[in-house]
Amino acid sequence: MPEIFIDGRAVQAEKDQTVLQAALANGIFIPYFCWHPQLSVAGNCRICVVEVEAKGGSWLDISCNMPVSEGMRVRTDSEEVRAQRKAILQFITLNHPVDCGICDKAGECTLQDYHYAYNGAPSISHDPKVRATKFFDLSRRILLDNERCILCSRCVRFTREISKSHALGIEDRGDHSLVRPAEDGCFDDDPYSDNVIDLCPVGALLAKSFLYKARVWYLRPTPSVCPGCERGCAVNLWHRRPEWQLNALDPRQNTAIARVTPRENPAVNGPWICNKGRDLAAIFERARAEQAMLKGAPVGLAEAIAAARRLIEAARHPVALVSNWGSNEELAAFKRSLAGRFSAAFVKIDRQPDPGERLEDDFLIKRDKNPNTAGARALFDDAPAALPAATDLVLVWGEGGDFARLPAGAKTILLGSYLAPENGHADVFIPVSIQTERRGSYTNFAGVVSTFEPCFAKKPAVADAEALFAQLGAEERVPA
Amino acid sequence: MAGTKLLMTFPVTATSHTLADYRARGGYATLARVLREMKPEDVTKEVTASGLQGRGGAAFPVGRKWQVVHLDDGQPHYLCANADEGEPGTFKDRWILENAPHLLLESMLIASYALQVRNAFVYIRGEFDLPYRRLAAAVEEAYGAGYFGERILGSDFSCDVVVYRGAGSYVCGEASALITSIEGKRGYPRNRPPRLTVRGLYQKPTVINNVESLANITGIIANGAEAFRKVGTAKAPGTRLLSVSGHVERPGVYEVESGYPFRDFLREELGGVLGGRALKAVIPGGISAKVLTAAEIEPLALDQSVFEAAGSTLGSGGMIVIAEGTCMVRLLQVMLRFYHHESCGQCTPCREGMGWMHRVIDRIVAGQGRPEDVATLYHVSRWNDGTTICGMGDAAGYATTAILDKFRDEFDYWIANGRSKHRGVLEVGNA
Amino acid sequence: MKHLVPEFERLKARFPAGFESSLVLPCLRRIQEDRGFVADSDIAGLAAYLGVPRIQIEEALSFYTQFRRKPIGRWHVQACRNVSCSMRGAERLIDHLRRRLGVAPGETTPDGRFTLSTVECLGSCGTAPVVMVNDAYHEGMTAEKIDALLAGLE
Repeated sequence: MPEIFIDGRAVQAEKDQTVLQAALANGIFIPYFCWHPQLSVAGNCRICVVEVEAKGGSWLDISCNMPVSEGMRVRTDSEEVRAQRKAILQFITLNHPVDCGICDKAGECTLQDYHYAYNGAPSISHDPKVRATKFFDLSRRILLDNERCILCSRCVRFTREISKSHALGIEDRGDHSLVRPAEDGCFDDDPYSDNVIDLCPVGALLAKSFLYKARVWYLRPTPSVCPGCERGCAVNLWHRRPEWQLNALDPRQNTAIARVTPRENPAVNGPWICNKGRDLAAIFERARAEQAMLKGAPVGLAEAIAAARRLIEAARHPVALVSNWGSNEELAAFKRSLAGRFSAAFVKIDRQPDPGERLEDDFLIKRDKNPNTAGARALFDDAPAALPAATDLVLVWGEGGDFARLPAGAKTILLGSYLAPENGHADVFIPVSIQTERRGSYTNFAGVVSTFEPCFAKKPAVADAEALFAQLGAEERVPA
Repeated sequence: MAGTKLLMTFPVTATSHTLADYRARGGYATLARVLREMKPEDVTKEVTASGLQGRGGAAFPVGRKWQVVHLDDGQPHYLCANADEGEPGTFKDRWILENAPHLLLESMLIASYALQVRNAFVYIRGEFDLPYRRLAAAVEEAYGAGYFGERILGSDFSCDVVVYRGAGSYVCGEASALITSIEGKRGYPRNRPPRLTVRGLYQKPTVINNVESLANITGIIANGAEAFRKVGTAKAPGTRLLSVSGHVERPGVYEVESGYPFRDFLREELGGVLGGRALKAVIPGGISAKVLTAAEIEPLALDQSVFEAAGSTLGSGGMIVIAEGTCMVRLLQVMLRFYHHESCGQCTPCREGMGWMHRVIDRIVAGQGRPEDVATLYHVSRWNDGTTICGMGDAAGYATTAILDKFRDEFDYWIANGRSKHRGVLEVGNA
Repeated sequence: MKHLVPEFERLKARFPAGFESSLVLPCLRRIQEDRGFVADSDIAGLAAYLGVPRIQIEEALSFYTQFRRKPIGRWHVQACRNVSCSMRGAERLIDHLRRRLGVAPGETTPDGRFTLSTVECLGSCGTAPVVMVNDAYHEGMTAEKIDALLAGLE
């Protein structure tokens, strides 16, 4: 373990670390654009310069490509370092449009931050900027503004080293260099493509789904877990901050997920997620079921719950199909409060792969497209091919129940979150909350438990499953 | 006479580049002796003892580069002859490629033996046509005669060579960019560490030497390091091939012994400045070498260490002679246009800086100069010095600041008056 | 591209094993020699043949100035305009070429005969100014010599 001295402070470095890594690991910040902990060293932005002090004099070099060696002394904030950083920032902004006012990245832009931290001066150039393509379709999902691009090559390296699609490259050369996708359009087929949007340290790569939707400082990230497959990637769900609620404009935005980004979790997904995880709004923002019903006739929530209790009480062979989208806490509540009232309770597979969806790969995507199969299986058995013929009541929790195959004449209680034809056919339909409205946890395929937090309040007419199970299973008898 | 010759030792005829002629001059005898009598490390020792400096521009000792390669590291080693010769004003390697291709090949075989290289490469600039054809023909002749391939001349040593053609990129003359180019990619230079002798072509130890550096190897091994050191000066042994262009009566490639006085060289060999004009300045070693005024260069001896002491370099040996009356603003404009055109665009200071300087000087020449423009050129040059991945940013900066330092009045004049102090042309011949 | 594969195979044999990626440049050169430019179908074919990512080929084509993806005139007239050539009259020579051919650098004459380009240093500075026509260097050029040269090119 070499000991090195950063700004006079003794630091224990790892043998194969670079100065930049050793500094960051010890809480000393050195600015960087092109370097990324998960990618190879490109060393092209030149902003991570440090001064190495040696007997024969000192010299400056980039710290991302500088191996540590015993006893070495570096300065991260000497006058020379500050001057060089400033000069580098002047080069970087020379042909950058500095259009923060209309840039989605503003507020979370590394270039913007560094400009204020390390430069702050207006440009000394009097010459026109090099023009480049704006609104270039990098893929069906991503827009590229080449004028904002600082050619750090993070996105290019991502496609070569992480997603392995080899879909991006840099064409032409000099200050006319352009990030470009391979002309066969293979970037459209890279299911991890949107990670380059987060990787981009400037506003060059933009999600079309988020374009001009919100200034990021109006949004709040809520820690969550992607339910798209049994990997259970850690994500942040970004939504309007309560203190910035919109009243006059479209108030639906107040309860909408503006975007989804990865939340780094080395045990599960590292800093990446797949594109399906970016599109969780497509799952969560389907039309919601918010009305309890008895055979399709609207009733109050309390009335529906009472009806469900009566059905459970009256049944001789009730069977439950539990949701593998239920949280561990909901599943445990079911087991605790309600399982004893059913002859059997089985795990239901709520969702199957969408047509054309990648089934699985050796990176993140898993075959089971449900978030908590492992958690559900820990408490309940897998469903048999057919339910026992004597079954006279089926409680179906969540999506994916095959009503055509239920035993003839069995009554049904359906707990659902989204509008669906079968809701109206159930003897009792009770709307329940979704992941973005509650706190909970999922257990992924490898046994890692990840928790999620609520983004929004559920509506009063919608039940919280955990509380609902306690109500349905309560000892108190309903008068016959 | 410009002293002893080591390379241009034979009259160039219609057949002097062929294997038959080369063998008649004693060609490939040194290789045979090396394979018969010498151990690889002895060859490296001899080259180190010769004090041979690289002739591509940086003047790094060849032997020291070779010593970094560990013969017993169990990895393949590669050798690349750098025949990219793209530094403007430089065309001396072309002379070797066209006229002495077998000297290069024999030297590469000896070097490959010393470095235990199984596969050697010549990276030749894409525009070179005749040099490529001559070299490619020589390679076929050498294969035919058993100098390449398996078990060369009955020894245990096997070696193959590939002539790899570039496709138009100045930066690929930089060793690491050259390697990236041989890997079939865009020619981006690489960060050091690691050195290329540690991780080069396909991450394996790779030695890259300039064509002229390599061409000297056969002679050094044939006659011994001692004999080589007797030629030239103590600090810069041997000869230099200088390719001279610009405003001289007899441009061309000349071999001069290190230490030969520039004044004599200009008068005796080059026939003086074009049309008997006065000498204004000389760019001594390719356009990236700092310009020297007439007064600065006239007393100098053609010796790398002397030129370094004078603040410049013999660099790639591309000497551009500039007559009085030449507009240095336009000269810098042409140079900056070139650097802008050739910047690979990988690292920030060069990518942004070269275009910036180009735009500034274009504006000056268009009569739209501003008083602070010269300061901007200095600023960009300063922040390309030591801040880039390869040496191109530095070189462009040195070249720029040298011209600004020494001919500032011409820039101030153009900015103040909107026109050149010297007719605004680089050509003086037909004036 | 397919008819060149036997040639590519011979080329490959000179390289060490595992150097497929290195064949990108020589194969592209050969394809361009054959067709006059590199077509989109060549890129797909070469990527499949060498097993390299298509983007690597696209990058190389755009990085190296000698490659082109569009056909040009039968005679590619490339005039050097770097320092040494400019010092010996290249700028006047290029003006002459523009007038004589009636096109600007980067353009092709309407009859498809000539494409005019300016280039930066062809390594022929001692015999400046130099003009490269297709593969051949023409050194020590003057307006008169250029006219005679062009007249002889169909």
